[in-house]
Amino acid sequence: MAELRVIDFGRVSALRSQTLWHAIAYGVSAGSPPTLSFARPADPYVCVGFHRSLEEVDEEYCAAHGLPVYRRMVGGGPVYLDDNQLFFQICLPAGAVSPSRLEALRDLLVPAATAFRAVGVDAELDADLEIVVGDRKICGHGAGQVEDAVVVCGNLIQGFDHERATRVLRLPDADMRAETLRLMRRYVAATPVDDDAFRDAMVEAYADALGLRPVPGELTAIEKTTLAGLDGRFTSREWIAGPEHTLRRRPRQVKVRAGVWVFAADCDRARVMASVVRGTVERARLSVRMPTSGPHAADPGERPRRPEPVELFAAEQAVSGVALAQVPQVLAGFGTPGRQLAAVFAAADGKRL
Amino acid sequence: MTHTQAAGPADLTEVRGYGLALNRMYDPDTHMWVQPLGDARARIGMDPLGVETSGTLAQLSFLPVGTELARGRPFGQLEAAKFLGPLVSPMSGTLLASNDMVAADPALTERVPFGAGWLVELAPSDPGEYANLLREPGEISSWFADKVDEYRLKGVIAE
Repeated sequence: MAELRVIDFGRVSALRSQTLWHAIAYGVSAGSPPTLSFARPADPYVCVGFHRSLEEVDEEYCAAHGLPVYRRMVGGGPVYLDDNQLFFQICLPAGAVSPSRLEALRDLLVPAATAFRAVGVDAELDADLEIVVGDRKICGHGAGQVEDAVVVCGNLIQGFDHERATRVLRLPDADMRAETLRLMRRYVAATPVDDDAFRDAMVEAYADALGLRPVPGELTAIEKTTLAGLDGRFTSREWIAGPEHTLRRRPRQVKVRAGVWVFAADCDRARVMASVVRGTVERARLSVRMPTSGPHAADPGERPRRPEPVELFAAEQAVSGVALAQVPQVLAGFGTPGRQLAAVFAAADGKRL
Repeated sequence: MTHTQAAGPADLTEVRGYGLALNRMYDPDTHMWVQPLGDARARIGMDPLGVETSGTLAQLSFLPVGTELARGRPFGQLEAAKFLGPLVSPMSGTLLASNDMVAADPALTERVPFGAGWLVELAPSDPGEYANLLREPGEISSWFADKVDEYRLKGVIAE
């Protein structure tokens, strides 16, 4: 039976909590055995997915609070990480997983869900490929192919600082921050199980699922050399800035978990902040500024006016509980301001977060 | 100089339920198509199986114009369902252009992989590499049909 190398790095620096598993991925690509690894960051930090813009992170806040920002070679958005999280990574040769990325991801997350259950957490891998208890996400994950190796990363969240996880994000206003925090508290949960038991369960679950024999191991000499290079790369300004096409997201959208997201956007004089849960608007804050001149201004001689607050409140109530796709029809009943708001809603796209 | 190729529905041949453009070459290893543009320039895009096995595309990014590409090495990255993976070049050469439209709207590659959803253009450095690609309509159709059958049998794609 082929071996599953198991490496527990223990408590490591924030930087090494990223670069160690990237070094393993390069190693597995070059012929090291499939590897399951664990690490816990000694210090808190923020990590952005490969494609995401640094503009999504409040870098001033992070700098003021001593939080480094690193960029990982897997997908997903900006996340706050600290020593209440035990990271795990499973890394295999690319040829050992399904050509379908979704199938590969499913195959490599199922054992993690099994391990959670083995330590008493009523977890399942849901249809969105999130590990959940009920409708609450309990494990963040990302995946990627590094040269000829595939790696799936996740975490055991033993405690989660929802407030700080929200605070490190650059958000346009207090409304969006409050709504993001509310949804984080609602949909992201910690599972404070014993980490030794969890590690043992993970090793057993992955070894069983992959048909491999777990063997304690360590980095090879080549992987250690790669690690040194990665330490330099991951702290370089060029790497942290990201690839050329890290486009700033407009409208600003934050995914809390699959199917749960918040967005804020402006168009002309209309502004929308809304949360969307499973395709339905849960809450909305709407505003419209009316022009004081030009073709859309109020009649000459009439005092320029803003829509009455009650009108917007009524529109906010009207769209709450409505499927996102139906919002334009609902807002059509609110005249010109309603049409302007509908145009802002049209810019939101939760499918590609 | 025009780089516009329609590859609309009328230009596609149905193979196992997928629309396939037979007026270009294919790399079976990378699921990329290659279309020589007649001015020492070749356009590259993803074939429909490459698109389907990727999932809903969230992001596409490309190496900078001017980068020297090697066959079998990445010319960019794609992200779908938090899975980041390389876009692997079927040809060696100098990267001349990347499609800003798909970088801004990756769904374009899903909707029209043979048209506006193309990915990059390069100046091939070794025209002999064209020999590695499938180019006859019959062999392209046969390879693609076999691959679809294989993927369906293994559950990689839906029936």
